[in-house]
Amino acid sequence: MYKYYVTARMSAQEQTNGGILYSLPTVILKICTLLPLLYLWKTIMSSGAKVEMSLEQMLSYTFLSSILADMLVVKTAATGWLSEGVLLKLYGRPFSVLGQLMAQTVGGWVPMLLMYSVPVLFLAPLLGVRLIPASPAFFLSLLLCVSLGFAIDFLFACLTIRLRNINWLIDRIRAAIIVILSGTIIPIRFLPFGLATIMKFQPFAALGGSPLSIFVGAGNVGETLLLQIAWNIILWPAAILAFKKSQEKMVSYGG
Amino acid sequence: MDKISIRRILGLYGIAAKMDLAWLLRDTKYAITVILADLISNLATVSSVFLLSVRFGGIGGMSSSEVLFMMAYSTMVTGLFIMFGAANNIHVSRIIGRGQLEHMFIQPIPLKAQLATIGFAPFTGGTNFIVGAILMVIAASRVELHVTPQWVLLLFAFLLATMTTIIARSYLVSSMAFYSPVSAEEISSQAIEGTWLLSTFPLSGMPSFVQIPLLTILPEGLMAWFPSLCLLGRPPLGLGSYYPMLYAIILATVAAAIFRKGLNYYVKRGSNRYLPYGFRR
Repeated sequence: MYKYYVTARMSAQEQTNGGILYSLPTVILKICTLLPLLYLWKTIMSSGAKVEMSLEQMLSYTFLSSILADMLVVKTAATGWLSEGVLLKLYGRPFSVLGQLMAQTVGGWVPMLLMYSVPVLFLAPLLGVRLIPASPAFFLSLLLCVSLGFAIDFLFACLTIRLRNINWLIDRIRAAIIVILSGTIIPIRFLPFGLATIMKFQPFAALGGSPLSIFVGAGNVGETLLLQIAWNIILWPAAILAFKKSQEKMVSYGG
Repeated sequence: MDKISIRRILGLYGIAAKMDLAWLLRDTKYAITVILADLISNLATVSSVFLLSVRFGGIGGMSSSEVLFMMAYSTMVTGLFIMFGAANNIHVSRIIGRGQLEHMFIQPIPLKAQLATIGFAPFTGGTNFIVGAILMVIAASRVELHVTPQWVLLLFAFLLATMTTIIARSYLVSSMAFYSPVSAEEISSQAIEGTWLLSTFPLSGMPSFVQIPLLTILPEGLMAWFPSLCLLGRPPLGLGSYYPMLYAIILATVAAAIFRKGLNYYVKRGSNRYLPYGFRR
């Protein structure tokens, strides 16, 4: 495990190689998006429409979604690294390629957790946000969400290999999924026209929206965990098989 | 150096359009996949806000039809952005940061003319604009808007102002790439895509300490919300319909001056991005 820990540590250090100031624009942008988003929900929820969540729950949902954003919809460097030729160098190291990608991704979360998530936690009481999980099952759900996030990301990486390195295209599709199918920005239960009932069974709903719902006490814990476990069982073997088959098709031109 | 006239500029747009068509015809399957991805990505963003407004019966005093109008405007802006910015000419920090500006210096056409025309992709990049225009017709009919030729001209003026603001902001922050090519290579993406979700928020009903910064420091409110309300005949905050145009002119003037300063620095110092054997640092 030590080699994975070192990979993660290197990845964390790499993020701040240019100095902490270099990360400031990202932190500022995150704050500038979070605050209007909280007020947007305050405006929307004050309309008096009957929904399944209270304003307090929605604010906690949005706040947590922002501070745990990287974990709720996992994105490894696999798709970008393929087109840049970096992915191929992972094969020269004496440990699992997928393991390296996972360690590198987890390490990469650390600087933003320290520079954005932790400081912003102190703002929560000022913004009227309550950050106590409604159920301890949240932690298990978050773990399942991260695990599924990696499986889905590897499937996207395989798609990039099949689509001749159009990682930009994959990023566009992924962005669309994050917005509407994962429930991290808008809870799936808020979708009209009966979409909520259908959408909760698709795999992306088992990503960020699931732990967030459990955290605020808005989801059926048993059903949510069951769906997350089921999608993990289905998509992990699919991801490993697809990656194994795609390896021979990798083509990189370099940076 | 070629003499630049309107005719020459149109000719350059023609060349870019011809190359775009050639890509579409030569690699149709992938070109269509890219078009669809663009369309899905944008529609997912705007439809999520619209679906919310349907679910809650409007947002902050805007009816769901008015929110649809705003989303249509946003889609048209995205369409214009993709149609005119297909060669990183709006994400200009990538061109500067990667040392590719020098490739443009050897062309016998002024840099301004190249940057204005190289990204024109009407065939593969025009879909969002068309979808946005269709959505706008639907939304305009739902809000029973009286559309006159003057209103259409005003729509184009607002679209021009929004695009000017986007481009000016991108060029303003991209000027950093002249001095720090590696770390600022992707700064235009942060300035454009990093805030794009924010630009789809209807700001109606929010407190003024949220609205005003989003119309001045971080002008996301000028990307769709403010122009849409002006086009619907009720400019917000008493700022007047010409505020987006005025903002665009001021920002463009400041951005042009700073970009020129950075360019002067760059032509004296050059780029350190390439190693002698060709790889990027």
